Amino acid sequence: MTVSSSMDIAKGPAALTPVPRRSRRHLADLVLHLVRRELASAHRNTLLGWAWPLTRQLAQLAVLVFLFSHVLRLHIQDYPVFVFAGLIVFTWFQAALIASAYSVVSNAHFVTNPKFPTIALPLVAVAVPFFDVLMALPVLLVLLAVAGRLGDTALLLPPLIAVQFAFTAGVALLTSAANVYLRDVQNVVVVLLLLLFYMTPIFYGLKNVPPQFHWVLRANPLTAFVNADRAVLFEGHLPAAVDLAILTGSTIVALAIGLAVFRRLQPGFVDEL
Amino acid sequence: MSVLRFEGVWKAYPDWSRQPRTLRGIFTRRVPVLSGSKRPKRWALRDITLDLAPGGTLGVIGHNGAGKSTFLRLAAGLGRPTRGHVAVHPDTATVLNLGSSFDMQLTGQENALTAALVAGMTRQEALKRLPSMLDFAELDEFVEYPVRTYSEGMKLRLAFGVVAALQPRLLILDEVLAVGDLAFRQKCEDRIAELRDGGTSLVLASHALEEITTTCEQVAWLHRGDLRAIGDVESVVEEYENASIEATYERTPVGSARGENGLRLRENRFGSQEMTVEAVAIHGRSPGGPIRTGDPLRISATILAKDDAINDPIVVVSLRRAGDQAVIFDLSTRADGFTLGRTVHSADIMLSIDRLDLPAGDYAMDIGVFEAAWEHAYDYHWQTYPLRVEGPVGGSGLLVPEHRWSIEESGLDRPAE
Repeated sequence: MTVSSSMDIAKGPAALTPVPRRSRRHLADLVLHLVRRELASAHRNTLLGWAWPLTRQLAQLAVLVFLFSHVLRLHIQDYPVFVFAGLIVFTWFQAALIASAYSVVSNAHFVTNPKFPTIALPLVAVAVPFFDVLMALPVLLVLLAVAGRLGDTALLLPPLIAVQFAFTAGVALLTSAANVYLRDVQNVVVVLLLLLFYMTPIFYGLKNVPPQFHWVLRANPLTAFVNADRAVLFEGHLPAAVDLAILTGSTIVALAIGLAVFRRLQPGFVDEL
Repeated sequence: MSVLRFEGVWKAYPDWSRQPRTLRGIFTRRVPVLSGSKRPKRWALRDITLDLAPGGTLGVIGHNGAGKSTFLRLAAGLGRPTRGHVAVHPDTATVLNLGSSFDMQLTGQENALTAALVAGMTRQEALKRLPSMLDFAELDEFVEYPVRTYSEGMKLRLAFGVVAALQPRLLILDEVLAVGDLAFRQKCEDRIAELRDGGTSLVLASHALEEITTTCEQVAWLHRGDLRAIGDVESVVEEYENASIEATYERTPVGSARGENGLRLRENRFGSQEMTVEAVAIHGRSPGGPIRTGDPLRISATILAKDDAINDPIVVVSLRRAGDQAVIFDLSTRADGFTLGRTVHSADIMLSIDRLDLPAGDYAMDIGVFEAAWEHAYDYHWQTYPLRVEGPVGGSGLLVPEHRWSIEESGLDRPAE
């Protein structure tokens, strides 16, 4: 992570360049601090405080459950738990991407600081809604336990979440950088997420979809994440090989493209803000 | 070895970066065929070459729009030069946007921690230096209050408290010190001097020439993107002031009849007249009459914009001795950190001097109002207001301070060995 690309370390006084380990420490401290700050600022002066994000998710869950188990019956067992597992995956991705689009453009005061690693901003955008996941997980686990579906395979959830973090970060790097140059990106993201919500098997399963349309859902990497999470939590078996392959592959691609684009565009940020 | 080097640096902002980009704009602006015009680049900086050695102090002066902000950004390692090469020491700190990242909901303490991390400290370092930052800011119990309850002065103190805890090799300052109360300004200046003595190089952009003269050894004068002059502070500031005098003369309309107080354009009245000084009065013992050595003196005047309100004008009052033209005092609102307002249409101004220990004789006062960057005078009344002082003759000195003579009794008639 270079702080400033216009700085030519080879020609400048290279001896005093900060050691990389210190930079990593600083980046980690900074991301954690900004996440904490954003959470503190968001929930200060509210009565329910931390409970608000969870309330939001439960409200959406209630609507979906009512709609698809009473109005349009899908005949899926333990439907609330089924929906909740998918919803958590999607809401995190959605909130992270919307926040990432604005992360650099609305924080110009940070970016114009010579020692501020701009890459921290999209990472914060992904990490802040991750906190909502952490709030929702205990509720989901209790629901699973009540339904008698909580098994050993649930232990595979943390690594799956870690991979989703990396995947989301990769896409977030791309959107945050692109939005600096083209402010339409923030609107495009919202529209795409809307479409993506229906292209992801959240309130239905892949089994409910006629096979000739599977490719539509497969074109969306989030499908693999939802399937894998449901496999380990809800169905109690290992994720399907195809899902694992898709989610690892798309994470590597997203990170590679995101990092490359971000590094390429970053030196020009200050001139655009 | 240097902490900052510009080699033939040119900087232009692309035409299409002036407004936030949208798809439509991209097509019309970025594809010249569609917009039908290919405008030439507007250079914010042209062919700048300079070198700042470790421990050096560089002042940057110039009018508004001369390229100072662009220069400072590049000097902070922010953005890319369009042509040429910029090398910046990695351990550089700026206060280009002092306090703008404060979160109003969070407390002063929480915000100080954020600012310290953003300025490059690790959490551990920031926590260690937090007490000294808050101590410097003199916020006392307010550190526990949300920043939205702070006055502007308190926010500034908090922001500078964080900067004061840094020990960068290169510090870049953009006339932040023009705000805040006098005592705190002094404290900031002391801290900057301390850093400078400790080997920190300094780049300081300011409209206050006094600040530049007291802080910097070298000065770069930017004029419409060109480096018009660079060198030691005395010669460049003098050149700059001469240019201001010339610009003032050029802008002075051709005179008409003699006006109030015997003023006549291009004779004893200069300036563009976009803002004028009116109703100047010297209040001594009696209106217009002589004063005695040690008397207080008050000077009142009204400044009045001709059409549009004027941004941040500077009022100057100076007094010279008749005959040899020796300068007795030369006071300006800018040097005293006194602001008349961001935009001024008219204002009644009073300068109060508590005591003036002048020898008997004749003096003449100048009064003027200047453009915010000293670019030129709006109105300058030269040697127009006479002041007669009565009292003891002061020899050739400029002052007759309150004094007494006496003989000390002890030790004077001890016999020599």
